[in-house]
Amino acid sequence: MTLTKIDTPEIAIDQVSMSYQTDTAKVLALKDITVDIQKGEFVSLLGPSGCGKTTLLRIMADLIQPTSGSVTVSGGTAKEARLARKYGIVFQSPVLYDWRKVKKNITLPLEMMGLSKEVQEKRATTLLDLVGLSKFKEKYPWQLSGGMQQRVAIARALAIEPEILLMDEPFSALDEFSRERLNEELLSIWSKVGNTVVFVTHSIPEAIFLSDRVFVLSPHPGRLSKIVEIDLPRPRREEMRNSPEFYQLISDIRNSFEGV
Amino acid sequence: MKSQISLGRLTPAVVVVLALLLIWQFLSWFLVILEVPLAQSKIPYLHELALTFSTYSGTLFSECSVTLTNAVMGFALGALGGVFLAVLMSISKWVEQLAFPYAVASQMIPILGLAPIVYGIFRDEQISRVLIAAYMTFFPVALNCLRGLRSADPQALELMYSYAAKPWSVYWRLRFPQSLPSLFSGLKIAAPLAVTGAILVELMGATRGLGVIMLRNLYYGPSHNYMFWLTVIFGAALGILSYLIVSLIERMVTPWQPEFRKSGGDE
Ligand SMILES: Nc1ncnc2c1ncn2[C@@H]1O[C@H](COP(=O)(O)OP(=O)(O)O)[C@@H](O)[C@H]1O
Ligand SMILES: [Mg+2]
Repeated sequence: MTLTKIDTPEIAIDQVSMSYQTDTAKVLALKDITVDIQKGEFVSLLGPSGCGKTTLLRIMADLIQPTSGSVTVSGGTAKEARLARKYGIVFQSPVLYDWRKVKKNITLPLEMMGLSKEVQEKRATTLLDLVGLSKFKEKYPWQLSGGMQQRVAIARALAIEPEILLMDEPFSALDEFSRERLNEELLSIWSKVGNTVVFVTHSIPEAIFLSDRVFVLSPHPGRLSKIVEIDLPRPRREEMRNSPEFYQLISDIRNSFEGV
Repeated sequence: MKSQISLGRLTPAVVVVLALLLIWQFLSWFLVILEVPLAQSKIPYLHELALTFSTYSGTLFSECSVTLTNAVMGFALGALGGVFLAVLMSISKWVEQLAFPYAVASQMIPILGLAPIVYGIFRDEQISRVLIAAYMTFFPVALNCLRGLRSADPQALELMYSYAAKPWSVYWRLRFPQSLPSLFSGLKIAAPLAVTGAILVELMGATRGLGVIMLRNLYYGPSHNYMFWLTVIFGAALGILSYLIVSLIERMVTPWQPEFRKSGGDE
């Protein structure tokens, strides 16, 4: 795997801090995060609950503004990137629209882009195929299992052909088996689409299996405590989860939490 | 198979209804033999009601259709007004603060007092009936619709935001469909109210409608007792009918609501 270094990173996070003002106190959720993400890279934000992973992802997505610092996306602001529809977002819950059938959920963002019916139809067909749900396109979301709903959410996020895919613990509500299968599926989709992925998780094996680099965050306040390069070859295979290298990486990352 | 099952389910209901009718008939007979004054105005014989119905069904149906037409027109007007105001209030806090107290206060005016005022202004029974029916529809629809429009899932809204969706698109594709269950709760409350409103105005002086024959038969005394009872029964039936029709439309428009989902998905 060769990582082509480009002068401007896809996402440049510079001195980002975020504090939330609650009724009783001020919570410092993120402190001085500075890191670059390259185009086409798959990175994970890893850390225990409450360390600010979601906050950082939401700042990148321009859903919230940092208290200080800045995010630059391919040379522009995060807001410009959002308005240019560069982001596909997948939340922890699928957030499908109940009144739309599977296919119409996937074409939702396309309608807003004003694409023609034929283009919408074509993209939906491709995406349904990609996530293996062609047979279910005329079903309502509640007629699908949790894993299938999350695959619809991924297809919907990919529909706008986003340069950046932001995923916030997308598989954490699923059982271990579905999660591992979806990990593999996600990698196979990513290898075809080739966009930049920022993946939030609190599972160490999941972060290792998926990523080029793992950003380890530590809590109170949320800081970037370590960046771990994952040099496992691609394509990643299920067996690699049992390799000595995999275990070595797990223990490396685990140790980096010890000192926290 | 299916029909057998549903027949099996229906049987208890049929038995209950038959039992109630029998008890009614018995009580009616009981009052008569006790020689209670005006026994038949209290609990009339069912077969007398049926007899009167067979003679006057034409009148009953035609007056009902007059009432229903007015109620439906008023209902449509009130529902449109209610939805319109709800949308305005959901867009602007300012409009809500301005309009909401008046909307609430308007509901404090006794309808019995309002009807003659409206009639006094327009001097037209048709317009008055439609307006009163609209007035009764308006509030529950506006209130429920507003609640629905406000209840959009924050993450679903963020998704729209991330697509850089235009405000009208957020309304059309998210807020409005999401509000439909609430809107229909409002419509289901409002539909029988619109019927009641229309009948009420007819009671206060009109030439046609169920309320008119209701009043007339009440004043004509015991001889018209059965007809009076029939008008009351038809009034109730119109209310129930209006509710059922709105429920049916709801089922067709929002088949995705949890309560309409067939149990046991096919996957
Ligand atoms: N809207 C908010 N208001 C106040 N505090 C918040 C808000 N969102 C998150 N926090 C706090 O910020 C910290 C980081 O939260 P979050 O980014 O959700 O962490 P993670 O996703 O890693 O679990 C937590 O202590 C959380 O309580
Ligand atoms: Mg989180």
